[in-house]
Amino acid sequence: MSILEKSESGTVRPEPVTPSRRPRKYGRASLLVGGALVLICLAMLSPVLWTAATVTKPTDVAFLNPPQFFYEPTLTSFVDLWQTTQFYKYLINTLVVAVLSTIAALVIGIPAAYALSRYPGWISAVLLIAALVFRALPRFSVVLPMYDISRALGVYDTTFAVAAALVAINQPFSIWLLRNFFAEIPKELDEAAMLDGCTRFQTLRRVMVPLMGPGILTAGIFIFLFAFQEYLTANILTDVSARTVPVFIATQLGQTLPMLQQAGAAAMLLTLPVVAFAFIAQRYLVAGLNAGSVKG
Amino acid sequence: MRRREFLAFVAPSVLVMGGLLLLPLYRTVEWSFERVDYGEPGEFVGLDNYGEALTDPRLGQAVLFTLGLTAAVVAALLVGGYLLAVMVNRLGRAKPWVLGILLVSYVVPHVVGATMFSWLFDANFGGVVNQVVTLVTGREVLWFTDPWPNRVMVWLNTIWFMLPFSMLVIIAGLQGVSTEVIEAAKIDGAGPVRTHWSVIIPNIRGVLGFVAIISIMDILRTFDQLIPLSPQAVQIGNESIMLYIYNIAFQDGGQQLGLGSAVNVLLILLIGLLLFPFIRDVAREARQA
Repeated sequence: MSILEKSESGTVRPEPVTPSRRPRKYGRASLLVGGALVLICLAMLSPVLWTAATVTKPTDVAFLNPPQFFYEPTLTSFVDLWQTTQFYKYLINTLVVAVLSTIAALVIGIPAAYALSRYPGWISAVLLIAALVFRALPRFSVVLPMYDISRALGVYDTTFAVAAALVAINQPFSIWLLRNFFAEIPKELDEAAMLDGCTRFQTLRRVMVPLMGPGILTAGIFIFLFAFQEYLTANILTDVSARTVPVFIATQLGQTLPMLQQAGAAAMLLTLPVVAFAFIAQRYLVAGLNAGSVKG
Repeated sequence: MRRREFLAFVAPSVLVMGGLLLLPLYRTVEWSFERVDYGEPGEFVGLDNYGEALTDPRLGQAVLFTLGLTAAVVAALLVGGYLLAVMVNRLGRAKPWVLGILLVSYVVPHVVGATMFSWLFDANFGGVVNQVVTLVTGREVLWFTDPWPNRVMVWLNTIWFMLPFSMLVIIAGLQGVSTEVIEAAKIDGAGPVRTHWSVIIPNIRGVLGFVAIISIMDILRTFDQLIPLSPQAVQIGNESIMLYIYNIAFQDGGQQLGLGSAVNVLLILLIGLLLFPFIRDVAREARQA
């Protein structure tokens, strides 16, 4: 098999979502399946839809039982959220943590994953198994000591500490995912590049990284998402100044009703971009989850 | 690749994992043999913490709750994920849209998703699901203070955000089943149900096993969703293992770091045991790479 052929069929690219060419015939079964899917999609979206409805109600209507379905929409809870809390600060913290940890995780993870896909033997096996076990660890077993250590080092409650913790926590996942993508690239390409005079590092930078574009994007999206979602680590390593949005929303629960509605508004402000993100990044997420044996 | 190059390439990653995962992990193991407060050196107590952990009825209850959650959710993920995968896999142009919608619950932070989920059931929030259930059953269900309804709500939420993962992995598995085998079954006169049950499912057994093991490990770590969904978890016995560790080792008043660490170590041992088949496969594969 020639190099070219293999690199074409090697699915570094996330699977393209091709429209199937089935004869357009909508039988009863198809209608049934379609109807079921619409209902399932509605059910899956219902928490988001209900929250969206609740936070656009005036406060005195929002907490009525039985619920009111017709009301005059208002954005008061969003305005209040912005004015009475430091929401923008938490939002910035969340973004800073997610962006910093994604960049660092990729810069550190790419060479490691490349090396692990090209160097057979027991060291690779040990490292990959360690990564697998680390990925499955109960989070508290590393985060509680991190709390102690970060206090001792004086970095407790800084975005830096949270980002560093998340780089480490997500590192096993990122090297597994990236390694699986690298493994799809034929080794003959490395050899060709090195025959042309590239060093290993140049091969990685000039040949592999451009080829890996979509794979790196997929890994980046996942790492960003995990950092963005993280509650437990951020909750333990932050107090006030580095607090992230998920932690903020959790602390608003069990407060007064207007504050609860503000928490709902915060949830919506966090969810809407994420929903847009899910649609745009959908095919990369699918590719990443299908690259299989990595999540866990 | 030469050994020196290999070492140089993996060094940063190994340093990060060594410093920020292995070192803290070592600390946890050390703490599990000590009586200790944050920021102070501990006092060695041998296996006392382990003894205390294994005889604490509260931990027993947390294990039961977590196992119940695992059984209910994994069963639902396999059955529901399979049905959903079969339906979505047949779609044509609508597929990316449906996948986008179904992925929403997967990408929203769990604690935020669970918060929104809890409002569907919250009478104080005019919860619409709560309203419907009350209308149908004629009874007021106490979703947050009655153990069983609360458990069911936690199950539903966990299924809600884990289903997309299960569905996607199963779709990948379905695409790997060769069409010849399916056609052969059809020619032999197998109906759709028979084809799924006797041909497709046995063919993707590995994928289903993968979904099960990953889900089990994720559910063992259940924590985030309980914060909004089960504020009374301790009183009504709906504490997960992780929430138990958090409450005794970190929450106000609870500074039983040694005890929490012992539970952590026990949990790691259990996870290692569950992972064993995977570890064997990885070892075999990585030697050849």
